[in-house]
Amino acid sequence: MKKNYGSIYTLPMAFWVTLFFLVPVLIVFLYSFLERGEHGGVVWIFSLNAYRDMLSPTFIHILGITLFISLLSTALTLLIALPCGYYMARSRRKSLYLFLIIIPFLTNFLIRIYAWQAILGNSGFLNNLLMRLGLIDNYIQFLYNEWAVIIVLVYSYLPYAILPLYSTIEKFDFSLLEAARDLGASHPASILRVMIPNIRSGIISAVLFTFIPTFGAYAVPKLVGGGRNSFMLGNLIADEILVNRNWPFASATSILITLVTTAAMGLYVFANKSAARAAQRKRI
Amino acid sequence: MKKSRFSRIVFFLTLIFLFMPLIVLVVYAFNESKNMSWTGFSLVWFQRLFTASRSIWRAFWNSILIALSSAATATAIGTLGAIGINWYSFKLKKYVQTISLLPLILPEIIIGVSMLIFFVGAGLHLGLLRIYIAHTTFNLPFVLLVLMSRLDEFDFSIIEAARDLGAREHQTLLKVIIPMAMPGIISAFLIAVTMSLEDFVITSFVSGPGSSTLPVHIYSMIRTGVSPVVNALSVVLLGGTAGLVFLMRPFFKYITHE
Amino acid sequence: MKGSEVRIEGIDKHFGDFHALKNVGVDIQKGEFFSLLGPSGCGKTTLLRIIAGFETPSAGIVYVDGRNILPLPPNRRQVNTIFQNYALFPHLTVFENVAFALRLKKYGKQEINSKVEEYLNLTKLTGQEYKKPAQLSGGQKQRVAIARALVNEPDVLLLDEPLSALDAKLRQHMLIELDMIHDKIGITFIYVTHDQQEALSVSDHIAVMNEGRIVQVGNPTEIYESPADIFVANFIGEANLFNGTVTAVEGEMVWVAVEPLGILKVTMEPGDLEGTRDFKPGRRVSITVRPEKINISLEKPADLPADAFNFFPCAVDEVIYNGFQSKFFVTIPDFARFTLKVFKQHMSYYSTGSEINWKDKAWIWWKADDAYLVEVHDA
Repeated sequence: MKKNYGSIYTLPMAFWVTLFFLVPVLIVFLYSFLERGEHGGVVWIFSLNAYRDMLSPTFIHILGITLFISLLSTALTLLIALPCGYYMARSRRKSLYLFLIIIPFLTNFLIRIYAWQAILGNSGFLNNLLMRLGLIDNYIQFLYNEWAVIIVLVYSYLPYAILPLYSTIEKFDFSLLEAARDLGASHPASILRVMIPNIRSGIISAVLFTFIPTFGAYAVPKLVGGGRNSFMLGNLIADEILVNRNWPFASATSILITLVTTAAMGLYVFANKSAARAAQRKRI
Repeated sequence: MKKSRFSRIVFFLTLIFLFMPLIVLVVYAFNESKNMSWTGFSLVWFQRLFTASRSIWRAFWNSILIALSSAATATAIGTLGAIGINWYSFKLKKYVQTISLLPLILPEIIIGVSMLIFFVGAGLHLGLLRIYIAHTTFNLPFVLLVLMSRLDEFDFSIIEAARDLGAREHQTLLKVIIPMAMPGIISAFLIAVTMSLEDFVITSFVSGPGSSTLPVHIYSMIRTGVSPVVNALSVVLLGGTAGLVFLMRPFFKYITHE
Repeated sequence: MKGSEVRIEGIDKHFGDFHALKNVGVDIQKGEFFSLLGPSGCGKTTLLRIIAGFETPSAGIVYVDGRNILPLPPNRRQVNTIFQNYALFPHLTVFENVAFALRLKKYGKQEINSKVEEYLNLTKLTGQEYKKPAQLSGGQKQRVAIARALVNEPDVLLLDEPLSALDAKLRQHMLIELDMIHDKIGITFIYVTHDQQEALSVSDHIAVMNEGRIVQVGNPTEIYESPADIFVANFIGEANLFNGTVTAVEGEMVWVAVEPLGILKVTMEPGDLEGTRDFKPGRRVSITVRPEKINISLEKPADLPADAFNFFPCAVDEVIYNGFQSKFFVTIPDFARFTLKVFKQHMSYYSTGSEINWKDKAWIWWKADDAYLVEVHDA
């Protein structure tokens, strides 16, 4: 009988992800059902306090804000990314445009956030410009609210939405649009009824690539948000871990985010099931 | 057929939206004053960056060290994993595949928090070691994905051909699979290095005091407000990245065209 | 004669619920060009992969020169394979692809060079040594795959639909070349194909497979002229089939009642009416007549001995001009259920009469010994 080299090859990886990913996530799950320790950590007593805390008005407000910001950012990103992906896919200068989309992301993530601080800050570029043009007398507070967070989130995740859309639109057979026009559809109708259904997988990827990180956003709201309406679940977790030292509550919130994320992913897998099955059939 | 004017306008506005912050950043790195109003050309912030900010450079070297070591580990483990998952069937394959790709879909903060709690529980206090482990973990799924899609381009009959011609398992691995996957291995490594250099959220959770990476250090600088030293730093990083990309052009050619 | 004899005994293979091979047994002689022919999904590739060592059978044994090779892994079998998609190593040059097995065997530099050159020469690849597979045409890739397998000097060469990726012209050309290579090196070739033309033109023997079984083994003439059953008759070439009942047998002559055509006469070869093919009166049988064996003309043929020929008046429904031949689809009046195919080379039908057109009334006839009887399983 031949040895199964598949399990030998995957052993190091299986070991690593089990120990350093699965076990930590399971610990978090476990901690969420325990009593909080006095100075951080946990006391080994079963408790649902962490989940009960989720019913507080404050938590519900933060959850609502998080959903509002992440859903709106996702929708805006998609609305911008769709025409961009379409234009790039139809253009003759595809690789140039791809390169241009990626360039801004060769700088560090934090430096990109910082650039927005420098633009939107009270003594920032935009306020300076507006004052110099005489449009305003005193600075406007652009930063530290939900709108600043949304702008920077859209900015941060736009390429992650454009790239999958671009690649599915690029594979789309544009003669189908001509066929639709030939059969009497208007240009918008042909796009809506023929192209959109055919690039569904790209749209779903774009939505997920934007929604998942924005729902769990931490650094962006920390740096350009922070007000009552721009404090998100990610910030709550960090505060509970580092400041309030309520580890079970931080754990429970993490579990909530994990569940929402995996549910979104599950929907994605479900939506792609038929396609995946077809692909698998091809491999056999 | 006429191209939609609407998508063209959106695309070019988007390019402006994407580039404007960088342009502002670069221009004001050469501004004399600390404020965002232009007072005159100066290199004072670059001077400050290179002479008065030794901690930035310590963080920078930490970042490089972590990036290279964690990317190398993730690439090695992940390449073998991708070979196993793509071309073999074995017990627990579904488990390994799912669990290895899962870190990709969870928001960074979840990975950061769970690793922090794990390290505290395990009594592991060495900051750099924690960062190395964390980075290797979140890099693994990227390496796995890149290599799986690379290996997907090849038919399994190539492996059968190698065996048919007399190669034993280790010879098939070393003489056929790995050389064939090499462009994928290199790009996976480069992606892993980039992801590691980028990461702030997970690192900020697991790193203790005294072991910051460049992004964590930048965070501590910008949290307190605008400082043109950061502008100068971003110009240096941008230039450095552009230079590296330029130097590695033949490499990219190799990756994309073999 | 070089090469090995291959003996396959009682091979069964299950993939989950799917029974891919059912008690397959066949003897392949030393140095012959042997084809496994059948439609896709008939199990021919699975059988080849069992011989190569990529699949383990559920039951049965494969002997090469009398030795059971099933316990050996593929890398230790004196058998090499040419894969359907060539499976060339994309990172290696043509030279290195061919040298692959020799390097594994730790041959010396001199020996590797001379052997690789020899086989590149055999496959007409001299001058292409330093190209990568991506730079080669389909035909060249095919040649590299052949050279790479042969440089090992295997006892048996397995070819898994090697020409299926090539276009029609090139396929013809490569087939002839494969045949020439076989003649030159003389080892056993086992060739898997779904293309009956390929199999008929180069094979010493053919095994026709269907639904996991071997239904007939024979040389090309036997397979074409004396198909074992309706499947073989239909799969190899084209056939007109008449179902009927045997009414009388006299020596090699069989009379078959076909409703509502009447009695058709079939002459069999000596020995063709033995064993399971002992067609006694009352047996349900099928008569097969190859389209090219039917004659057609506008006038009723004169002077044909009635006991050696079958002839019928017919209506020409369709004429398809194919260049080197014409295909007629004709119906026999009062017998519309049967549309017959009649293929004629132009020379021969022009010489026997005037041109036949669509909607003409004509006559068809064929010799009793140009028809053949096959079993009908439903009875």
